[in-house]
Formats: sequence, C-alpha cells, structure tokens
Amino acid sequence: MRRVYAALAALVAAILVAIVAFFAVEAWPAIGLNGWHFLTHDVWDVGRQYGNPILRDGRLVLPGAHYGILFLIVGTLLSTAIAVVLAVPIGVLAAIFLAECIPAALRTWVSFFVEMLAAIPSVVFGLWGYIFLIPFLARHVFPWMAAHLGFLPYFGGATGSGYGLLTSGLVLALMIVPLVTSTVRDALVAQPHGLRDAALALGATRFETLRTVQLPGTRRAMTGSAILATGRALGETMAVLMISGNALNYLPTNIYSPISTMASFIVSQLDGALQDPTGMAVRALAEVALVLCLISVVVNSLARGLLYWQDRISSAWPA
Amino acid sequence: MKPFATILQRRGARLAIFCLALACAGALAAQTINLLETGSSLLYPLFNLWLPAYHRIAPEVRITTQSTGSGTGISDAVAGIAQIGASDAYMADAMMRQHPGMLNIPLAISMQMVNYNLPGLNGRNLKLSGPVLAGIYSGSIRYWDDGQIQAMNPGVRLPHHAIIPVHRTDGSGDTFIFTQYLSFSTPSWSNNVSYGTTISWPAVPGELGAEGNPGMVTATQGNPYTIAYIGTSYEQAIRRARLGIAALKNRAGQFVLPTSATAKAAAAQMVAKTPKDERISLIFAPGPTSYPIINYEYAIVNSRQASAAIAAAMRKFFTWAMSSSGGNAPHFLNQVNFVALPAPVVRLSAAQVAQIQ
Repeated sequence: MRRVYAALAALVAAILVAIVAFFAVEAWPAIGLNGWHFLTHDVWDVGRQYGNPILRDGRLVLPGAHYGILFLIVGTLLSTAIAVVLAVPIGVLAAIFLAECIPAALRTWVSFFVEMLAAIPSVVFGLWGYIFLIPFLARHVFPWMAAHLGFLPYFGGATGSGYGLLTSGLVLALMIVPLVTSTVRDALVAQPHGLRDAALALGATRFETLRTVQLPGTRRAMTGSAILATGRALGETMAVLMISGNALNYLPTNIYSPISTMASFIVSQLDGALQDPTGMAVRALAEVALVLCLISVVVNSLARGLLYWQDRISSAWPA
Repeated sequence: MKPFATILQRRGARLAIFCLALACAGALAAQTINLLETGSSLLYPLFNLWLPAYHRIAPEVRITTQSTGSGTGISDAVAGIAQIGASDAYMADAMMRQHPGMLNIPLAISMQMVNYNLPGLNGRNLKLSGPVLAGIYSGSIRYWDDGQIQAMNPGVRLPHHAIIPVHRTDGSGDTFIFTQYLSFSTPSWSNNVSYGTTISWPAVPGELGAEGNPGMVTATQGNPYTIAYIGTSYEQAIRRARLGIAALKNRAGQFVLPTSATAKAAAAQMVAKTPKDERISLIFAPGPTSYPIINYEYAIVNSRQASAAIAAAMRKFFTWAMSSSGGNAPHFLNQVNFVALPAPVVRLSAAQVAQIQ
C-alpha cells in the first residue's frame, strides 16, 4: 500500500514537471526568436497573417511579427498586488470578527456564507463586475476618487470607462478574501483556549490578548493563505478578461487604466494565433504560459522563504 | 424482507428492458453519421436555424455546432477534429500551401456595420469613410468634431469630445473585414497595420477592447462617444441598444447604409471576380450603390474525409445549405441579416463541394 501512495505522489510531481517541460519545448523556438526582448518590450504583434512568411534567424515567421509582453507582466503583477493588499487585511479582520466577536451559534452561519463566497465560479464575479461594478465605478466612484485623492501618485488623471486595473484588483480581492478569512479563522479557533484565558487572567485587554497572543500564533496560516490567494489572483482568467479592458501594447498610466493579464491574454489571443501558418504565435503564447508558471513558482518560493525566515526569527527570540 | 426482494426483482426487470432499449438505440446510432461544425460566432446563429430544419430532411445525419471563433474553426478542420470549420475569413496563401487539400466554400454573404454612441445623434446616420476610421483607430483623429468628420457631415453639431474606439480583443473575422476596409481605402493603414483576424492595434488613449460581438454592443452602449464595428447578425441588439449606424463611403465615393440591397449590389460586382477556389475579399467593391464591408461566410473543409459515407453526407448538407429553396432561403437568412449567394457563386461552390471525397 505504501508503494502505491509513493507512486501516486511521484506521479503528481511528474505531471507538474511534464507540463512545464512540455511548455518549455513548445515555446523553445519562440524563446530563441524573442530573447530578452520578450520580457522588456511592449509590442505584441503576430504579424501580417495574410502576408508571406519570412525567415528570421533561421525561423519562419510572419512579416512584422514581434512578441513583447512587458505590459502583460505589469498588468498581472499590479492587479494581483492590489487584490492581495486589499484582501489580506480585510480577510484577517473578518476572521477575527468571526472567531471572537459573534456568538458561536451565529458564527457557523456567517462562516458558511463566507465560504460560499469562495465557491462562486469566477465567471459569475466577472459578469457581476461587467454589469454592475463597472458602470457604478465609472460614474460615481472613480471620478470622486480622482477629484479627492488625485494628490496621491497614480490616483489622478483620466478615469476612463471603468474597465481596468483597479476594477480588476477589486474583483480579484473579493474572490480571494474568503480564502484568507476561512484559513485565519480556523487557525484562531484551533488555538488552545488556555493561552487566551491566561492572557486575560494576567490583566490583558481583549485587544491586547488578540494582538500579542492570538494573532502571532496564526502567522503561518496568514502567510499560507496569502500565498494561496496570490496564486489564485495571478492565474485568474475569466473574470479579469471581462473587466480589465484588455489593454494591448501599452502600460497603465494610473490605477484606472485598462490592463491585460497573462492568463486572460492567452484566452483572448489563442483563436487569432491559430491562424498563423508558421505556428510562431501559438509558440509565443506557450512562452507566455511558461513565464506565468515561472512567476507563480517565484512568488510561491519567496513566500515560503518568508515563512521559513519568520520561524527562524520567532524561535531565536521567543515572544 | 420479501417485499423488498420483489422490488429488487422488478427493478432488475426494468433495468433489463432499459438496457435492451439502449442496445437497440446503439444499433440504430451506428448508422447515423455525426458531423461536427466549429468556428465563427457569426455563422453559429445561422447553423442553429439550419440544423433543426435539416434534421427533418436528413434524420440520419447528426450535426453538432459549436461557436469557437474562426481561427479555431480553421485549425479544427485542418486537424480533422471538426468536419466543418466555419470562418468569416478565407485561409491565407501560406496556410493553403501547407494544407493544399483544404477547401474554402462560401455558404452565405454577411456584412458589417460601423456603430457609434453619440448622445443625441444616434438617430442620424453619420457619414464616415475608410481614411477617417483609420485616423480614429490609429489616433490621428481624436475628437468627434474633427475637421474631417465635420466636412463629411455638414449641418450636424458634433460634440468636442474624445472618440473612444472599441475593437475586438479576441481573434475575429469582424476584425479581418474591418481592417481590410481600412487597408484597401487607406494606404498608410495598409503599410503600418495591415489586416488580419488579430491586429496589433495602435495605442489610442481611452480605447477599449471587447470580447465577441455581444461585448462590442455592451461596451458601445455603456460608454458614450464610442465607435465600434459589429456584424449585422447583431442588428436587432444594436437597435435595442439605440446605437447609431454609419453610412460608409464606398469605392465610388458614395455614402451607403448597410441594407440587403446595398450588400447585394456589392456582391453582384464581385461575382465575376470570384476565382475557382473562391478565396477573395469582397471588401470595398466598385459600383455607386455597393456597401463597402461585405464578406463570404466560409465553410473550411478538408477535401479528403475519413469515409465515403461522411463525404456523401457533407456534400448533401452543403448542397442543401447553398440552395435558395434550402439553407439560403430568405426565411433563414433574413433572421440573421445575411444575403443569399448569387447563382454563379453557388455553381462555383457546388464544383468545390463535389471535390469532397
């Protein structure tokens, strides 16, 4: 039986390696063609589809083909950053509220609703953003923000049509809040009651108990949930496709600007890329997928490193 | 215990009957021929009208239709995943050289509108030309009251407001025919951007990208001062959204509205020019009453099919679809604002259909 488990575990790991390897092989000609320009330039142009393919560096490409995805990397990272910065504090506060501030009978129900929020398919969030949020933000919220918060960098300027960076960040935040809340709440509830009672008995207020005893104990859960949330926001496709404005070939100028993310770009460009007779456009999309995988791995590794470093610090200087 | 056992026995008997029925259905199904159509979202509504009607004529053929986008339709047909790839665009020369066995068979004629959302002016048909649209989509014409737009529309009080161009972000036959109109009418667009189903759109401040024709309608409806290109199958949605419909300048210098009469006039001009393989753009046709943005809607088909029975079923279906008493009858085409194939084109298509083996 143990061997079966080992084999299954190895299979899962092998699938991960196989997928990355597949994309690396598929994207290889594009990687050679694009070089570092792929990451540093803002021009994605599949070339003239109805022109005659030309040879460039020994590879057959459409005339005028250029592949640069800096605008996608920036759009993906910024929308994810906005989502995580909004979702983690709100999620943690909601978890504290659920764990400490409401009666146990009610807690089950409210927690249930928070978890149901995580069960909503992303396309539903996208549709809601499209029908309700975008017109609401564009007509009421963004103009107000530009007028009153315009002194902050990137908050002023043209507020556009509601499709864009901040809208994407807000919807992504909504999608990842329940992940943070349920993980942190479980960690809070799972803590030994003795610790909290001891702190209260020593004369600490409820807030002091929370800040110095309970929350530090959930640090791992908090970091873990933030990693999960970041991963989900980086890869979210459908909702972002519907509300990001799908900017092509330019960087956002303020937080209201249209953006594109790597995941949604792959979906929207695949059909057109299939019409490239040289196949280079599909290979370049595979390269986008590869970069997205690498960014996810790097973000995960950084977060895990942070976790490790936190543990070292806290074991060196016990609270 | 006993009643429970009886229930079980009854259940068993029912199950046996059900299995027998399934087996019979399976034996019948072995004779039905399954065809898969994937591709163009413009042809998809027409296929949905066709299929129930065709099923009554040929119940032995089961056709499944999927709206996936023209690029996927072509690639599925080439790969043999789908028997019929629906596309708004014909295959490029380079693709035909790679896959010489592929056929591009026109099934109907479609057209495209240029729509706008200008508060107070949507009831009037603004006049626009290819070079003006190229200017708008490349950012050299930024405001609605630009001199070039005003000169075409004397007496119309145009607002001094930035124009928001809306374009498709997904690969699209609509993008293909719209950019062909810009390319054929405007040399600078042809040199710098050219045409295709996916375009590297010049960056214009405020421009919007939308997914699919429904996305184009919502983006235009929701944002005043926008301009967009939308397939005429969506004319009802456009009228419900109260968007403006532009009269476009044709090759003869006349401004014409998208109607079935102007589309037929343009098609009539292009019939004689249509080659045997029928891969031709109908954009910017000559003639004083020709609407400039019309196109053949293609079925992309491999001339070598897996079996003679499949090939025969496909030939029969296409023959019906192109016939004026079958799929090209007005009661089908009018619902999606398509125009029937002219008789000489039907003859060319029939010759191509005969090659499916």
